[in-house]
Amino acid sequence: MKKLVDFVKPAAILLIVAAVVALVLGLVDMVTRDRIEAIAAETKTNAMKAVLDADSYEELTLENAPADVDEAYTAAGGGWVVQVTESGSQGSITLMVGVSPDLTCTGISVTDSSETAGLGAIASQQSTAGENFRSQFVGQSGTVAVTKDGGSINALTGATITSRAISAGVTTALALCETLG
Amino acid sequence: MFASIVTISLAAILTNNFIFSQFLGICPFLGVSNKMSTATGMSVAVIFVMTMASAICWVINQFLLIPFGVADFMQTVAYILVIAVLVQFVEMFLKKAIPSLYSAMGIFLPLITTNCAVLGVVLLNTQNSYNFLESLVDGFTGGVGFTVAIVLFASVRERLQFADYPKAFEGFAICLVTAALFALAFMGFSGMKIPV
Amino acid sequence: MNVKKQLTEGLITNNPVLVQQIGLCATMAISTSLFNGIGMGLSVLIILTCCNVVISAIRKIIPGQVRLAIFVVVIAGFVTIVDLLLKAFIPALSSALGVFIPLIVVNCIIIGRAEAFSSKEGVFLSFRDGVFQGLGYTCVLVLMCLVRELLGSGTIGGGILNGATSFFTLDGTGAGIRIIPEGFGAGALVLPFGGFLTLGCLMAVMQYALRKSNEKKARKEKEVKE
Repeated sequence: MKKLVDFVKPAAILLIVAAVVALVLGLVDMVTRDRIEAIAAETKTNAMKAVLDADSYEELTLENAPADVDEAYTAAGGGWVVQVTESGSQGSITLMVGVSPDLTCTGISVTDSSETAGLGAIASQQSTAGENFRSQFVGQSGTVAVTKDGGSINALTGATITSRAISAGVTTALALCETLG
Repeated sequence: MFASIVTISLAAILTNNFIFSQFLGICPFLGVSNKMSTATGMSVAVIFVMTMASAICWVINQFLLIPFGVADFMQTVAYILVIAVLVQFVEMFLKKAIPSLYSAMGIFLPLITTNCAVLGVVLLNTQNSYNFLESLVDGFTGGVGFTVAIVLFASVRERLQFADYPKAFEGFAICLVTAALFALAFMGFSGMKIPV
Repeated sequence: MNVKKQLTEGLITNNPVLVQQIGLCATMAISTSLFNGIGMGLSVLIILTCCNVVISAIRKIIPGQVRLAIFVVVIAGFVTIVDLLLKAFIPALSSALGVFIPLIVVNCIIIGRAEAFSSKEGVFLSFRDGVFQGLGYTCVLVLMCLVRELLGSGTIGGGILNGATSFFTLDGTGAGIRIIPEGFGAGALVLPFGGFLTLGCLMAVMQYALRKSNEKKARKEKEVKE
């Protein structure tokens, strides 16, 4: 009989501790969930507004879209916002691309990336260098490429791969919008 | 499908090596890399635990955490428990089957639980929303990447004993400087990609 | 054990990173800007202190066989709480540290202190131990960040100072105070390479200093004897 107690007691204590932890986490989650969701939504709207300003956006259902396109929205005032994910040098880069009705890029915003700090990460930073890099994409159309590949985008120093991935993302978004008409 | 698997493997082993570019699993990496034999033993255990953990955690996340709506806050707790149990299992198995390896790895075996590469790989699998096969591949090749790093490093470290360096750098310090050079070399792989 | 001794242990003689040489992963991975360093350091400090207190409080009822599992569950619990709070209130920090916040669970410092200290000592001592060890960790992180950020990107206080709207900022827009003109920093220092190198050198400096102070102490003792 003693054996059974020896076996059950530790298990029971572990279970109780786990249950208490789960309960506390559930409570914290209840408190923070709304806020976290609100922040996520706000970040997204801000990113969309930054690339193509409009009062509202309507999500499109995409069929046969390229694999790197996540979502696409039509902006209330005309034009589209496309979210694409490309593989960069350290992981995937998610960016919002604004496209005007005449199929030129109105702006880009990197919403999620894990590029090398100080090099590729500049693409997503709110710094002069970041702004300068991103503003190059405004007004681009057709196939967008870095100067090394015969395009007109000056790649970030030491981050050709990141710059290429972003150019590819913009190209994909522009091509998608062409099919959307 | 095939392309994504090759891409994941390539990233886990070379371009995004857990140790040299993501800084995951540094403690066991420095701890057991002083001898080639313990390094390989540790690597095998890590490959096994990482693969199994990736598979089991995927199943738990998909069929237990997400349906009950607790994935946001119970993920870390559930994952670390799975890993702890797995490690316990490997330990029991080695103790019975290969006692020599068990005694060689000594205190580092339970330390796989706190190997951030293991928890790291399952968390990253979830974050990147990999499917079952992709998670499995990422876990396995992540372990292989760990092995590549630790075996390469052990071979250099065995020679380090005969090197002449300032006394202040003794121990982990010189190892970290050596690892820095490795990291620099592994950077050469960055951006390597399979044309799809 | 007095406060002063515990404090010196945490900060210097038994510093978690430089002397015990644990918790290295996050130290190297995120120390690229002061924002990350302070954020990570304080997160670990809070989690470590809470875990130490709770584990110390329940130490008498923890059965030996499942001790590690219980530690891990308690730690994972606190880590998730901090993770959720950061996501809700300082989202910029949460996205900058990414997976390294949940990975605090396997930070050897916390489980190490649970095993070596708080599962044996009283609640109050464990609380102090958590604070001091956490402070030691934060100091090393801040030091690493200062070195890597200054030499690597040429700024001080990236992410936290000189923000878009105010001087001190928690929204991650801080550009930092520029010391070295843009483009003149040794960019490699913010790469993984720099993480390893900086920590290696810091450890060497620490070992050198500790040895010197020990030699001095030994010499003094000898003089006293003579």
